[in-house]
Amino acid sequence: MSNDGENFAAFNSRALVEMVGDVTDEALKATKIKQFLGVLAGRYFNWAGRKSLFTLHLGIKCCAIEMAAAATPRFDGDRFGVLFRSSPRQSDVLLVNGPVSKKFADKIVRLWEQMPEPKYCIAMGECAISGGPYFQSYNILEGVDTVIPVDVYIPGCPPRPEALIDGFGLLREKIIRIGGAPSTGRDGEKPVIVGED
Amino acid sequence: MTHGLWTLRVKVDGETIVDTDAELGYIHRGVEKICEDRDFTQITPYCDRLCYVSAMTWANSYIYAAEDLLEAEVPERAEFIRLISAELQRLASHLMWLGAFGPDIGSLTLMTWCMRDREMFLDLLQELGGSRMHYNYPRIGGVKRDIPVGFATRMIAKIKLFERRIEEYEMLLDESTIWLVRLQGVGYTKAEDMVEAGVSGPNVRAAGVNYDVRWAHPYSVYDQVDWEPAVEKPTSVKGADCYDRYRVRMEEMRQSSKMILDAIEKIPGGKNTNYSAGDEMIMTKAPTRAPEGATGFSNYECTRGASQFYIKGGGEGRGKNPYRLSIRSPMFITIPYVAKTMIGYKIADIPAIMGSFDPCIGETDR
Amino acid sequence: MRVTHEQSDSAAKSCVAVLNERFSGSGIKSTVEHHSNAFKMPFVRIHAEPQHWLAIAKFMKYDLFVNYCSMVTGTHFPDGPAERGWEVAYHMMRMPVSNVKPNTNTIHVAEKLSGNDIPLEFEVLIALQQGDTPTVPSIQSIWVGADWNEKETWDLVGINFEGHENMHRVLNPHDSPEQFHPLQKQHKLRYHGHNEMYDDPQGFGRKPADEGRNK
Repeated sequence: MSNDGENFAAFNSRALVEMVGDVTDEALKATKIKQFLGVLAGRYFNWAGRKSLFTLHLGIKCCAIEMAAAATPRFDGDRFGVLFRSSPRQSDVLLVNGPVSKKFADKIVRLWEQMPEPKYCIAMGECAISGGPYFQSYNILEGVDTVIPVDVYIPGCPPRPEALIDGFGLLREKIIRIGGAPSTGRDGEKPVIVGED
Repeated sequence: MTHGLWTLRVKVDGETIVDTDAELGYIHRGVEKICEDRDFTQITPYCDRLCYVSAMTWANSYIYAAEDLLEAEVPERAEFIRLISAELQRLASHLMWLGAFGPDIGSLTLMTWCMRDREMFLDLLQELGGSRMHYNYPRIGGVKRDIPVGFATRMIAKIKLFERRIEEYEMLLDESTIWLVRLQGVGYTKAEDMVEAGVSGPNVRAAGVNYDVRWAHPYSVYDQVDWEPAVEKPTSVKGADCYDRYRVRMEEMRQSSKMILDAIEKIPGGKNTNYSAGDEMIMTKAPTRAPEGATGFSNYECTRGASQFYIKGGGEGRGKNPYRLSIRSPMFITIPYVAKTMIGYKIADIPAIMGSFDPCIGETDR
Repeated sequence: MRVTHEQSDSAAKSCVAVLNERFSGSGIKSTVEHHSNAFKMPFVRIHAEPQHWLAIAKFMKYDLFVNYCSMVTGTHFPDGPAERGWEVAYHMMRMPVSNVKPNTNTIHVAEKLSGNDIPLEFEVLIALQQGDTPTVPSIQSIWVGADWNEKETWDLVGINFEGHENMHRVLNPHDSPEQFHPLQKQHKLRYHGHNEMYDDPQGFGRKPADEGRNK
């Protein structure tokens, strides 16, 4: 049996698939089609991703009410593709909209770590940027960027829903630049601040 | 999302809840400690951010305590403006509650409808205070600015439109079988149990007792406007269920509308005049220091219950800061009580019961 | 409609008379005070000693019909006199309430209330000695509403409530250091001499030692 198996090794399905795969890969690399397809697919995924940013449905404090208002008929974030998801495993954007207390700090880090790449973080409101009016408090972190890398800052207390939609627009422009870079590799990128033109 | 950030640990036996434990403190900001380092005027924005959905009522509540401490006089026109702003805020807050309660039960339509109507009142409050939320509007001794020109006309038009909208909501909800089945028979609470636990506000009024701080421990000019507390008649001997709590808030919205329409007609100085800021019609000069040993206390009907402030004077800056500022939040008392009410019901009843009590964690965690 | 001055005044005076008759001569002082705001409504203020507090509380609940304990405030006076290093202020409310029959409700008409039905505010001030362990008997068994109020006062100010079951941190994180009660005066605000709770300034990320812990 074993002798006969070796004779038919070339027609064993798994080995056949691997061989075909290797041959095709070499061919594509040689003709540069692979590189072309890679760029095309990357651009396509980038376009699809930034046009439908799934935001985690997390509301910490007052800015959450403005986030909710941005989803309601008057301001309507949904026409920009912004949809709220309940699970971090299904969302692209973590919108931090309130002060992060010591009790909540490692929970928000855990939420961030549960989100799959590529993921982005928006700090909305003064409390998430720098602690806000509670910067002197014994229980509040001075900004969420002490524990999570932040991409866009939206100042305001609370920022108007229009400012939040503008923040999403600036995040989309940033995604065009950085593509699908992982969140730990963006140290050189300057974070975007809404309102500074 | 719109109720707030807290944890409820539930022990279940199949689908039935056996025990609950509430965990708060995720947005504890230490406001009481921070306020020991601020002037009395600088504390007003912090009180706006306590319960962010009904900011004007909390700012008013603090201002009454500060006026008690500093022994300040308030002109009558300012009291009427405070009443109008507080009742507008009550309308906006109840609409936010309904807009969050609907999705809890499953009705996403309510979210869009209520937020659309809430925008009407946020525009009015923006004319008064300058921002959609967190107005920093009342001052010790009066209010910051007078009502703008044309404000009365716009407000009356919007409220008259809103009164028809309330009927639209009731038409949508009271004829919906899902709404009735999910709310009726769920979350029974009796009046005496609630009061002994310290619950107040619309939750107690749903159980058939018309306790309202606005007449029982009076403040401002509520005795000069035409209104009645909204009280429900619970249909069961076991007390009020979620449906009664929903109905009492709809009725409160009607009463608030009535109050505003009455107050704007009775305002001293007329509804179309606009006094400049600092004018004696809307603000009096108040002392800024409180000696040691002076205390101020206020009992105020916020949208969720009775909120109280207790301020001890004699802090730093020779009395410019308070020595101790203590805040009593109605929701801090209600949430553990509600956690115990849920025992015996099913898991699917948790959002209905929690939502019907209208929690706001901003004021709970301070 | 509102509760009038005469009603409140007479209710407060009768409560104070009953209290003084029952508890006179033991350092307990009950007075009728007035707020300083526009309405100047009266309320009852009681200065009490910690050893008599339980007796007063039971009297207030069963004989004066005080319904609920609304607010418990603890204050730290490190520079105060020897007998007032700490102070606990209780605010209680009395209001007329009773369970209603189905399909009815109770509408109180404010002007017609009388006797023990008139809503009233009570303020109890208990001064404690200077020291590190201020202790007050707990009224958790008397009023349900005092439960979480006392937890919060212990958590933030550090006043011990003797006889309180299941005392735990309610606003600060569960793993706050043992004697850390932020509202005591030796703890300062950030940028004013504050010592961070943890060893590294902003190290609130999840460390390997935190596996499985409930923070």
